[in-house]
Amino acid sequence: MPIIVTLDAVLDRKGMTLTQLSEAIDITLANLSILKTGKAKAIRFSTLEAICRVLDCQPGEILTFERD
Amino acid sequence: MINRDKLVRSSALAVRVASIANGAFLLAVALGLAASWVMAGRFTTLLLGAGAGGDLAQMTAGARWMLVLGLAMAAGAFVLLRELGAMVASVSAGDPFVAANADRLRRIGWALLFLQLLDIPGYLIRWSFPALGNAAPDAGMSPGGWIAVLMVFVLARIFAAGTALRDDLEGTI
Repeated sequence: MPIIVTLDAVLDRKGMTLTQLSEAIDITLANLSILKTGKAKAIRFSTLEAICRVLDCQPGEILTFERD
Repeated sequence: MINRDKLVRSSALAVRVASIANGAFLLAVALGLAASWVMAGRFTTLLLGAGAGGDLAQMTAGARWMLVLGLAMAAGAFVLLRELGAMVASVSAGDPFVAANADRLRRIGWALLFLQLLDIPGYLIRWSFPALGNAAPDAGMSPGGWIAVLMVFVLARIFAAGTALRDDLEGTI
């Protein structure tokens, strides 16, 4: 898929682990791992909003478009 | 939930009983068809006993075609019951909303259509072999059957769309 999830990079930058993020936004670690590894089919605006709020970032920092 | 489990178990049992009955019917029809050649004399006596009057050769030919029709019916019912059984099994397994069930429902639709279309050869047998009398297949059209065919095809389409929606929802974070 040409949409790349760059959640890892943002987490590194903010010095936060995936477990801490999952607790902060109340989404299971399993689901967040699916998102992080790019296996998710879609992301809800509410999830995106929660991640951006906790990580203090823009959606574009988490999702990147790369041409095939 | 207990009632639902009972319903699923009863459905599975009903499908199994119907499958066994269909198998027995298929065997009986196949044996009948074989007997019409192997034991032609006894077959004729049996036809005379059934009370059908008129041309015996025509009666024998008509009865053979009826048996062939019976084989086709049993084959259609076999496909229908096999798919229905698999669907019921997926319900008892707890995950019926899968793409395979949409395909099964479509195959049930085709089997029902096939069974409905058997009305045509049934009518032709009745028309071609008047000597069969009341023993000939019922030539009446059944609008309910045609509506059921249409309904199953529409349901299969809805099921496929619903399954795709669920798959999408499952991959949504």
